[in-house]
Order: sequence, then structure tokens, then C-alpha cells
Amino acid sequence: MEWLSIKLAFRNLMGSGKRTWLNVTVLSIAFVVIVFYNGLLDGWNLQAKRDTKAWETGSGRIDHVLYDQFDPLSLVDAHAPLGDMLKAEIESGRAVAVLAVQASAYPNGRMVNVLLKGIDPAQKTLLLPTAALDSGRVEGDPAIPVIVGDRTAKSAKLKEGDVMIVRWRDVNGTFDAREVRIAGIFKTTVPTVDGGQLWMPLEDLREMTSLYGEATYLVLSDEVIASGDFDSTGVLSGEWRYVDENALMKEIDDIIKTKRASSMIMSMLLLGIALLAIFDTQILSIFRRQKEIGTYIALGMTRLRVIGIFTIEGTVHSILAILLGLIWGMPLLKLIQYVGLPMPAGTDQVGLAIADKIVPAYSAGMIMASVVLVIVTSFIVSYIPARKISKMKPTEALRGKLL
Amino acid sequence: METEQIVKLEGVYKRFPAGKTEFTALNNISLAFGKGEFAGLVGPSGSGKTTLLNIIGSLDSPSEGTADVLGKRINTLSHKEAALLRNMGIGFIFQTYNLLPVYTVYDNVEFALLLQKRGAAERKKAVMEALEWVGLTEKANSKPSALSGGECQRVAIARAMVKRPQLVLADEPSANLDSKNSHHIVQTMKRLNKELGTTFIFSTHDEKVMQYLDRIIQLQDGMVVNQTGL
Repeated sequence: MEWLSIKLAFRNLMGSGKRTWLNVTVLSIAFVVIVFYNGLLDGWNLQAKRDTKAWETGSGRIDHVLYDQFDPLSLVDAHAPLGDMLKAEIESGRAVAVLAVQASAYPNGRMVNVLLKGIDPAQKTLLLPTAALDSGRVEGDPAIPVIVGDRTAKSAKLKEGDVMIVRWRDVNGTFDAREVRIAGIFKTTVPTVDGGQLWMPLEDLREMTSLYGEATYLVLSDEVIASGDFDSTGVLSGEWRYVDENALMKEIDDIIKTKRASSMIMSMLLLGIALLAIFDTQILSIFRRQKEIGTYIALGMTRLRVIGIFTIEGTVHSILAILLGLIWGMPLLKLIQYVGLPMPAGTDQVGLAIADKIVPAYSAGMIMASVVLVIVTSFIVSYIPARKISKMKPTEALRGKLL
Repeated sequence: METEQIVKLEGVYKRFPAGKTEFTALNNISLAFGKGEFAGLVGPSGSGKTTLLNIIGSLDSPSEGTADVLGKRINTLSHKEAALLRNMGIGFIFQTYNLLPVYTVYDNVEFALLLQKRGAAERKKAVMEALEWVGLTEKANSKPSALSGGECQRVAIARAMVKRPQLVLADEPSANLDSKNSHHIVQTMKRLNKELGTTFIFSTHDEKVMQYLDRIIQLQDGMVVNQTGL
């Protein structure tokens, strides 16, 4: 009987002609837009995580217990000498130490708050072009080479070779100042390694601050995580705590979640319009096709089965919409995936890694979830009006009397 | 020897709400129809013919009294039981044909058998046979919109007869047809009545139909006022 209901529903839909195809077309647009938006966000999420991992967090981090990346004041105390185990990881090239100190810089006569970050110029764990910290050192010039991101360079009107003064407090709280030279300007999609940060050789910063052998955090490579030495977030010793990749990516996950909620509003509106069209069609059908309903009942169909036919009829809209969406949407979505979606200038100011182009990622799970969403919602909007049939008297339905 | 009674109505009343009062559509109807009868309910509009057919067809139930059809008491049937009774034992022919417009002639006739979950081969054989009874085999693939009124009503007869019901209820079957077609479809039904032994109960006020009826039950204001051919 269920097969019969599906067969009858298909026949009825095909018989309705243009109205069916109009509904199906609108619903297929909604379906493709939902897949596109989700793919865009998933692609952005993937790219943001991949870039953040490559540029900033590595595969995990060992932080000083007092370090809070969102609280610059925590930097005053968030440093400690590295123990033997951590030193061994650094020496083996599987981790890189970073020392972070708050400072002021004076580019072109202005004062800006900056974060001085010391890092080993020979490190390979992060994508930061730290080799420039060695190659950019000018013999006989006391200025310390630093590299900055292009956002910082642009806002401070800095270019390669520029020299400026930085001022900081040493470990005793005494102000000191040195000249730094811009040895390189790097472009990154990760704003958190760029905005207001000056990357300099670790040993220079340690010497400037008298924090010899100390660090604020260590960035770990994949090899360290694969070795299983650190397996979950938690305190390693009195001064260091391990932060795993998931915890480091929580910020991105939270932002993506917020973005997903806001961007889904549009796709939901579109889906709502399509579903409203189906709802209207179903309501109209029940009024218009009362004689047909009466005939079904007279021929021996139960009301429940008539409701089933009408519900399936509405739901079949969504199945046809998905098929139609796959026909026209798949090539389009594939094309967008191939060429990427250029992001307008300024979108990298949102505090989250955004590339010049976002490549949407369409996972099977996400597509299936979208399919289920479209089918379930169209089932519901088809079932609600179909319930009216159960209140219909067959004798009145046969005469075509209004409900 | 008495014929087997397949419809038995005793003291049937049907009342409908009409504002704050009630309208009595059927007033103490007691009737019985035997197997193989070719009978008609005749009378003017509003006399209760269709209401009575609806009760016999288990589309409605009496307000008072009892109605037994094919061994089932209509008063106590659930929606599902009533649907099963109609599906297996009763065929309907309507004044406006009530063919499903998006289906072909074949699909319309096959529909009743689909509901009975009969196999494809059995369905095909039965549908072609039914179309042959009404002389429409060549129109099997046509849509109802391509047929004349007489042809539509013949499809409706085939749909009613294809499942070989014991009882066929025809509500004003000739009302939308011209004289020639009216004669044709009633003759077709009469032939099937004779050949298959199916009981036919008509509601009609068409003289052309009445001349073929073996039994005429005259209704007026919801009451049986006269019966002929008993």
C-alpha cells in the first residue's frame, strides 16, 4: 500500500504540471543554498583551523599556567624556565618556544601597544617566516630584526627596512628601549599572529627582558602529539599545562557556530518560502480535490491512507527538489569549489582566519543532513493540511462541499 | 425459494442539524434488497434517495434504526471496517463519474484492484475484461478529459464492476447524459446484472432508467410512499 501511495502521489504530482514544478524549483533552490552555505562554513572552518594550526597553534601547546592569550596583563607573570623534558622537545625540533612580552612601539612618531614575541629563527614548526630574523640581521647595526604581518605593517605604516623604537619593562619592572628593524613583512590568513605583534629572535627578547631560558608557551608539532606524550588538556607540572588541539580550536568553533546560526537564517527563510508554497498547494489541493478524496474513500481507501497519499505527495516535492537540485546545483557547487569564493577586502578583520578565497567543503554528512532537513520539513508541512481530510465527511467530500 | 437478502434496513432515520433544529432526511425506512436485484430509488430532489444510498454504501450511518449490508451492520462499523466493506463488496457509480483526472482509463479501472492488493497479471486481465464489458478497450490509454460523458460513465461502470462486487450503487448515473447514452449505460448495467448476478440499486428520477428497473421504490420527504415490482 505504501508503494501504491507513492505511485499515486507521483501520478498526481505529474498531473499537476506547472504548479508542481514551480514548487519543486523553489525548493531545489533552497536545498542548494543550504548546501552551499553549510559547505562555505565548513570550508571556512577547515581553512581557518588548518591555517591557525600551521601559523599559530601547531598540533597542541604547552602554556605557562598563568598565560591567558586574551589577557595581555597575564604576560607579566606568565613565563618560566623550561624543564629538561621541554628543552629536549625543543632541541629535537619537535616543539618551538615562544616568549611573549607586552611593549610599546613608536613607528613614525606614534605610539602603539605591541606584543613582542620571541621565537627561534630556525624553527620549522610554524609557517612564520622566521628565517628572516637571521638573514635580516645587519652587521654592526644594533637594531634587532623583527618580522611583522601585513596588517600590522599597514596600520603602523611600516615597510621593510624601517627602524623604530620599542619600549618594554624588564623582569625587574624597569623600562628599557631598543631599536628594531623590520626584516620582513609576512602575509597570513591568521590575524592572531599578526595584529600588533612583533616577532623577534627568542634569545634577543630573553636578553632584553632578562628572562634567560624562559618561555611563555611552547608550540608542539604533529610528531610530539603522535608520540602520545601528551594526550589530553591538563596541568603537566606546577608551571606548565598542556592544551590540546580541540581546546585551541574552540574559539574558531564558537565563531563558526555563531556564523552558521546567522547565515542559516537566510537559507531558512528561503526554505520557509518553498515550504509555504507546498503548504499552500496542499491546502488548495484538499479544497480543490474534495471529490477526488471522496472517490478514494468510496472506492475503499481508509482516511488514514488518503492522508498518507497527500502527505507523500507533498513530501515527494522535496525528493524531486533534491534530484533537481543535484542536477543543476552539483555542477554549480563543484565550480565554486574549483574556483573558490573570493572574500571581499576587510573580511579578515573579523578575528578569525579568512583566506582571500574560501573553498567550500561539501561533506557527505552535511549533504545528507540537508537532504533530511528538506524532506522532514516538507513532510511536516504536507502532513498538517492533510490532517484536515480526517475531519472530512465522505458524503460531503463527494459532493465537493467545503470543509 | 426466497432470494438471499444482502441489504436490510429496519426503521432507518437520518437526521441532519439545520440551525437549531434538525432536518429529517430519512423517516422510518424499512427495506430489503435481494441478491441479483435491479432496483431503483425514485423520487424528486430532496426525497432522500442519495442519503439512503450513502447509508447502504457505508459512507454514512443511520441516526436511528439498523442497516445491514452484506452481513455487516453499518451502524457499528469503524472507518476502517467500512472502507474494507466498500473495497471488497460495493461498487459506486456517480452522477459526475468521479474519475481520477490524472489517470488513464486503464488506471482508473485498475485503481479498485490496486486497493485490493491483487497481483499485476490478475489486475491486467480483470481490467481488460471490464473494459470489454463496457466496450472501451481501445480507449484504455486515454485520459478522462479525452472522453465523452457517455464514455466516462462507462469507465465508471467498469471501475465499479472490475472487482466483481456483490452490490453496485448508482447515484443518478444518467443525469449528465443524453438520451442515447442513458439507454446505453443502463442497458450495459442490466446486462452485467444478468450475466454476473450483481445487485444494482439506483437513485434516479430519469424515466429512461426507470423503464429498465425490476423494482421501483418511490421516496418522498424521506419516506417510502410506493413500491412496484416486488
